[in-house]
Amino acid sequence: MTTATLDPDISARRSALGRRILPYAMLSPAVLVTLAIVFFPMVQTAWMSLHEYVLFRPNDFNWVGLDNFRAALADEVFWISLKHTAIWMCTTIPAQLLLGLITALLLNQDFWWRPLARALIIIPWALPSVVIALMWTWIYDSNYGVANEFLLRLGVIQQAVPWLANPDTALASIILTLTWQGFPFFAVMILAGLQSIPASYYEAASIDGASAWRQFWHITLPGIAGVMMTAVLLRMIWVANSFDVIFVMTGGGPGYSTHTLPLYAFIKARTNLDFGYGSSIAVLFTIMLMVVVVFYLRRTGKAVD
Amino acid sequence: MKSSSIVGIASALALMTSAAYADSTVRFWYHFDNADNPMDELVATFEAENPGIKIDAENVPWNSYYDQLYTSIVGGNAPDAAMVKLFAQPRLIELGALHPIDDDIANWDGAANIEDGLIDLVKGGDGTQYYLPVQYVALYLYYRADMLAELGLEVPTTCDEFRDVAKALTRDTDGDGQTDVYGFGFRGAKGGHDHWGTFVLGAQDVSLTDGITSEAGVAGTQFVADLFQKDQVFPPSAPNDGFQEIIGAFKAGRTAMTIHHIGSANGMVEALGDKVSAAPVPACGGGSWTAFGDESTAVLSNAEDPEAAFKWISFLSSEGHNTTFNQATGQLPVVKADASNWTMHPERFVEATQASVPAAQLLPSSSATSDFVNTVWPTNMQRVLIGEISAEEMNANIDALFSE
Repeated sequence: MTTATLDPDISARRSALGRRILPYAMLSPAVLVTLAIVFFPMVQTAWMSLHEYVLFRPNDFNWVGLDNFRAALADEVFWISLKHTAIWMCTTIPAQLLLGLITALLLNQDFWWRPLARALIIIPWALPSVVIALMWTWIYDSNYGVANEFLLRLGVIQQAVPWLANPDTALASIILTLTWQGFPFFAVMILAGLQSIPASYYEAASIDGASAWRQFWHITLPGIAGVMMTAVLLRMIWVANSFDVIFVMTGGGPGYSTHTLPLYAFIKARTNLDFGYGSSIAVLFTIMLMVVVVFYLRRTGKAVD
Repeated sequence: MKSSSIVGIASALALMTSAAYADSTVRFWYHFDNADNPMDELVATFEAENPGIKIDAENVPWNSYYDQLYTSIVGGNAPDAAMVKLFAQPRLIELGALHPIDDDIANWDGAANIEDGLIDLVKGGDGTQYYLPVQYVALYLYYRADMLAELGLEVPTTCDEFRDVAKALTRDTDGDGQTDVYGFGFRGAKGGHDHWGTFVLGAQDVSLTDGITSEAGVAGTQFVADLFQKDQVFPPSAPNDGFQEIIGAFKAGRTAMTIHHIGSANGMVEALGDKVSAAPVPACGGGSWTAFGDESTAVLSNAEDPEAAFKWISFLSSEGHNTTFNQATGQLPVVKADASNWTMHPERFVEATQASVPAAQLLPSSSATSDFVNTVWPTNMQRVLIGEISAEEMNANIDALFSE
């Protein structure tokens, strides 16, 4: 009744204003939550990294400027961990991608138990990291592990190998574990991409006499490039930050053989309670990861375009 | 009539209010690995005896026990009382997290029933009493009596004998070219400083805070490295082996000796029967050193009702209840009467513990001890075992930690 007496211009302006505000109103709860649980701790971490802050001396919160960063850059363990992080990312993600791609191509074929295969393939991804880490620790066990038993019976090795206690094999063993855990993610994403490619493209290519390889190269790969780019980006960030599997399997050892930067930051902060130094490692790693992500987005963005 | 009703209501309200004030809840943190947990029984008994106090006992996983305790203290959400080890005491004092209990112990009848000297042993570095002992152990050497008998060997009493025996026990028993039994199950992961200490800290004038970089100190670490690298008497997985691995390997017959305490004795007997026995650790470098495994309880400074919290922790260290508590942990009671009636372990393991007590020592009362236990020792030991650093470098790193 009131609105009926309003000037139509005012009513239209209100309606337009409501439309403009509505998206913000809808987004604000998510933004507020993100600010509270992501942005605020990030700022707090950056602030702590500029202080000497050892948790069991809570009253000594002293400003040290960039001293923690200087100490980190002069720390042998920081560079060892950075090298391992680079190896960790550069091998795990391509291995997961390749395995995921092969799996997706297989699952895209017609066979009677395809629904069951799709369900089974997701299991490694669905299992909690701690369960996976414990399971693979037993697989690698040098006394009772099935990996050694299998390889001994095949005659591939002559002595049981302490996979996780040997510095030459420990990191590779964990990379294999994480590859197994993460490939279903790629498989599922790529499979979704494959199913969005119209069958008519392949029919046309067949009529033109294109081989299976050329069809894959010129139709399939461009068709899933966008999905793969997003999946690699997401996985890059997750794998880089993932340390739970390493922590459970080796704790970073033997020595520093499986230390990665997120794990080192965690050990410094959570075990040694040196939150200032641990935060500086986390901040340095975040900056490095951002550089890698921006570089990746620029390169792949151009390629996809 | 009217006024009497008002008085009645007021009295009832006053009673209700006082009852509400009398009700205290003590939040207690502990860590029991044993699934057969008697804590509910202890809580029920205590609450029946002390109607005004409610116990909220939480079993916190051991692996992250101290991480969670320190964080909860700084975060202002610490429990009122907790199970604590001596190595953590300097840090907890530095945090201002402990409530002094000198007066409570002085007024507690049960104090006289605690084993002699134990209460003083757990006193804080500042001379104040914060801890109340609840159980103790001394680490000793587990050995396979049947394997020693089979090879005509004696239980080693010195490091030299230990090396010879460990080498003899390391065998390929089925002739397939693989080593089936290793002489000693060494714990190279966190917690293995107790093993290393036996070979290093027994030497004269060598301790974690003094003389660790001396010739004798370095020789001790080198002895451990040689046992692994040259003599190969440890399983190849030793650098990463923790508690589960060393105990599992010993029970499965993969190792013939290891070092642990009476807490694992019943499990060992269940797996191996009379084939397993125990003796004090060998003397190395002219003296003996073994770890005194302590566990106490403490009232935390943020406790809302410290009196109620002390009542609860003293209950755990009192006659009868201390036995129930130790049945879960498999360690030894601190109450004299409970210790004299102790039948939970076969006699030979109790005797080995008692024989080990004279050599049992505590880690330094320093805030560096936590870092030594959690990161510095395991990382350096593993690096020595895999040949990344020398024994000299490891001991220098430990010296640097305690000199800070």
